[in-house]
Amino acid sequence: MPQQHHNLIYSFLFIIAVLLLASCGERVSNATSEASLPDIYPDYVDVTIPVGIAPLNFGMKSDDALLVDAVVADAKGHTLHGQGRETTDFDIDDWHKLVAQNVGDSLTVTVSAKFADGWHTYQPFHFYVSTDSIDYGLCYRLIEPGYEVWSKMGIYQRNLSTFEQTPLIENTQFEGCVNCHGFNRADPSRMSLHIRGAHGATLLLDEGRLTAYNTKTDQTLGFCVYPYWHPSGKYIAYSTNTTRQTFHIRHANRIEVFDAASDIQVYDVEKNQLIITPSLKTDSLYETFPVFSADGKTLYFSAAQALPPGSMQLDSVRYSLYSIDFDAESGTYGSTVRKVIDHGDSCSICFPRPSYDGRFLVYSVADYGQFSIWHHEADLWLLDLLTGERRPMVEVNSDDTESFHNWSSNSRWMVFSSRRDDGLFTRPYFTHIDADGHATKPFMLPQQNPRRYYRELFLSYNVPDFIRARVEFNNVKAVELINDDYRKPMGVVEK
Amino acid sequence: MKLMGRHKALMTIFFGLAVTLFFALAYPHHLHFQEQYQLFLFEGSYVREVLSVPGGFADLLGRFCTQFFLYARIGAVIIGVLLMVVQLMSARLVGWNRQYGLSFLPAALLWVFLLDENALLGGVWALILVMLAAWDIGRIANPMARSLVALVCAPLLYWMAGPVAFLFVLLVFLDEARRGTFVSRFLGVAVVVVGCVLPAVLPHFVSVSAARLWQGVHYTRYPDTFPMWLWLATGSVAVLFLLHLFVKRWHESEQRWVRPVVSALIAFVVVALGVRVKMNPRTEQVMAYDYMARNQQWNRILQTADRQMPDNPLMVTALNLALGMKGLMADNMFRYVQNGVEGLLPEFVSDPVSPLTTSEAYYQLGMINTAQRFVFEAQEAIPDYQKSGRCYKRLAETNLIVGNYPVARKYLSALSHTLFYRTWANETMKLLADDELVRSHPEYGRLRSSIVKEDYFYSDRDLSAMLGRLFLANRRNRLAFEYLEASYLLSKDIDSFVARFPLSESIGYPRFPLAFQEGLLLWWSREHTAQEQMPPGIDRPTFQRLNDFYTLTNRKAPLEQIEQRFGQTYWYYYFFVKDVKNYHTTPQDHHPSTS
Repeated sequence: MPQQHHNLIYSFLFIIAVLLLASCGERVSNATSEASLPDIYPDYVDVTIPVGIAPLNFGMKSDDALLVDAVVADAKGHTLHGQGRETTDFDIDDWHKLVAQNVGDSLTVTVSAKFADGWHTYQPFHFYVSTDSIDYGLCYRLIEPGYEVWSKMGIYQRNLSTFEQTPLIENTQFEGCVNCHGFNRADPSRMSLHIRGAHGATLLLDEGRLTAYNTKTDQTLGFCVYPYWHPSGKYIAYSTNTTRQTFHIRHANRIEVFDAASDIQVYDVEKNQLIITPSLKTDSLYETFPVFSADGKTLYFSAAQALPPGSMQLDSVRYSLYSIDFDAESGTYGSTVRKVIDHGDSCSICFPRPSYDGRFLVYSVADYGQFSIWHHEADLWLLDLLTGERRPMVEVNSDDTESFHNWSSNSRWMVFSSRRDDGLFTRPYFTHIDADGHATKPFMLPQQNPRRYYRELFLSYNVPDFIRARVEFNNVKAVELINDDYRKPMGVVEK
Repeated sequence: MKLMGRHKALMTIFFGLAVTLFFALAYPHHLHFQEQYQLFLFEGSYVREVLSVPGGFADLLGRFCTQFFLYARIGAVIIGVLLMVVQLMSARLVGWNRQYGLSFLPAALLWVFLLDENALLGGVWALILVMLAAWDIGRIANPMARSLVALVCAPLLYWMAGPVAFLFVLLVFLDEARRGTFVSRFLGVAVVVVGCVLPAVLPHFVSVSAARLWQGVHYTRYPDTFPMWLWLATGSVAVLFLLHLFVKRWHESEQRWVRPVVSALIAFVVVALGVRVKMNPRTEQVMAYDYMARNQQWNRILQTADRQMPDNPLMVTALNLALGMKGLMADNMFRYVQNGVEGLLPEFVSDPVSPLTTSEAYYQLGMINTAQRFVFEAQEAIPDYQKSGRCYKRLAETNLIVGNYPVARKYLSALSHTLFYRTWANETMKLLADDELVRSHPEYGRLRSSIVKEDYFYSDRDLSAMLGRLFLANRRNRLAFEYLEASYLLSKDIDSFVARFPLSESIGYPRFPLAFQEGLLLWWSREHTAQEQMPPGIDRPTFQRLNDFYTLTNRKAPLEQIEQRFGQTYWYYYFFVKDVKNYHTTPQDHHPSTS
């Protein structure tokens, strides 16, 4: 063999060896030991995680870091190593194996970062692995946090064990806006989805069958929004809102979304009838955000005293939490509307969400109004339905907006959207809530390279909701229905 | 023959030059317009997203080229070169014969296609890719290999170039038909795959409407618009190829000059007619004003308006802003056409164009939240869902001014991944580290100090009240004061105009500006006669002119005569300009306190 060929082979082997070494990463050496915890993004320090969650990759918050290195170890001697320029990039299979081996236990994470002056090793922190599992995935809308005009958006589902995100439907397939979506206790086979725009409709997914409805009737205010399923699956509570927007000239909240009128109605899925009652259709109250209790016997909702016509004293509108009985057998409401919580003149309650085990109810509190999403001061509060005690969820609240939230099907995990990342773009966070209502430090939805992913993402996560399995959604059929003029009308009955 | 070759080369060069000069000199702001509705990011996620739909590769090339349109002359050269390439590819496909002039036809049609400000360069790239592939495949000698390559290429090309790839299938099919080989049967499969199966199946896998998979996913900014001129150009290639293959006389030599001249004439006529029909100089003018406002070229706006009176609401908005920024509004605003308060700050319209110019005015006034909203909404209204370098830049600035640094950083970070905004983004990023740097910045500092202290809700029905509050928040904000007073004058509410005039004290005008004098005098004349002593601060010539104006109007002089003598006064606007849209202000609206 000619010498020239030998050289070629050696060069080739050398390159392979270099690549192999490179793939093993750089060894942490001569590291300066730091007394502090690492400043990482996302902040995963001492968070509680469920088994099956995708790897919690992270990077150093500082742009000056050249490399980040993490060793995750358990008490039995198993370790997982991740290293990268921007992210730890843990091997997904090894991650799942390690987490599964430590259910109910904790993992110790030792982080080192390389800067221009060399390696620094920080004080270790922990991942606590909960004994409570989490659902298969999350469903949410991705949309720019805009004002009135919309651009590209869609409803997406994300497998929480991996980083896979797939669209259920995007508005690139039709002209319109995808809006309120709701599942029945994370059941992916039953979904209500509202479409706005020229092809407005409410799509109902029921065991794979899609139907497009016209939810506007002569006897109701408008289209059905903010859906919430009855645990039996026979009913869906909706509100119908005359929603308006106005814009702050100076305030950081930018937008004020408010209702000029709103009512509540329950849709009987089998009879295709909206059930209305004068108690929930008053002119003097704005009723909105209806949700059924875990046993389906109570309908909770937010309501506020209506403003006089023409008034724009929006900062005087404060919603309280109300309830009314609901009989699923007869499809009738109780006779009395009860005020459950009144925060008085200081706060406004919106987005009540009862846990599916019937123990708690979490709601958003803002200074005023019903759309806490645009209120930077908005926080989450927890109401113990057993004792009637309520408290701000200091474990999960931040200085910025905490707003829409939902429970996992086992009621042990909660997902909520928060603007804490940058003050504008909402991101989903997860917290574990134990049987006594104690919540753990929340963690941001994991990504393969979270720094890059969230930096490049100019979309907000809207209405995050758990799903127990993958949603089988025929988007071609959905688009066909949306573009078709036919809408199944709904009947109305007053009870 | 050599002479002929030289002439062909000259024709091609002449064509390229004509295209370049046209876009550089007659249509430069169309190119700026194109650039401002996209944001080419050197980021993997961006490239992946563009490539994830049929036609994505051509689209990516188009977007890459379009970023250079920030500099119109470079953009014009790019278009010139691309259309020359299309012409040369056409010539190669149809043969270098005496119908050379006809090879200009597809490129000429593309020229017409690109006259539409919403036609995207990706369409041109799609045709180039398809022609390149069709030409290359014809060079494979082995029929079986050729057909196999065609089968692979057809769907691949569909994915790269979009439905224009139908042309590839057609050209290969025609070529095979001419060759008379049995393998053309195989190509029938390719036709089915590309023509039927792919567009029919793809809606299940990509989030694109079925119609767009047939007519073009992203050849125009309005995705559901049928790109007729692009398809005419595509069809013309097929027709030329057909003629080349099957019309026998095509190759026969006759008189040396007749055919080249006639064929070139045909192409020329197509260009001339197409350009005449599709060219829109008026749109170019509107775009020019917006471009100048965007780049704060206030003197250039005034010079342009002096040459030709603006007559479009957006042009008037930009002109009024230029007058204000140069401190000339209070003197000269009625020298130009005015269309009511709408010409100061147009009502929000949900489109990607109008809010951009309007936002420039809100920005310079110091209504930063409103400027931000208008820019954001303009970007959201971009029909093909692209982002905008111009909008990102402004959004970074507005967030910087109001102190929302994390969001400003996010926009700046994205801009740092662009070719032409990178330097600015990296420089501006330094301001994020120090609040004092923002406060002392000549533009951002001034605008931050103009922001109102107390919050209230925006109301386009109550513009004067908002401007009043704005001025009261910073009494050195001369632009706010002049917009406030102009809003009263334009809405013909001279009582409010006069009532607010004492506020001008803090501006410190060395003398009463002319337009304000005219307003004041008009108000005064309602209860006084010409014989009385004129009010203080009014120039004698202005006073005399009002007397002349009343004399002429009392005499019932023809409108043309009044316009000729007084068309550039407030008095003419007040009495004779009708149908102006004054949605913003009503005299009875509550106004801010003058104390």
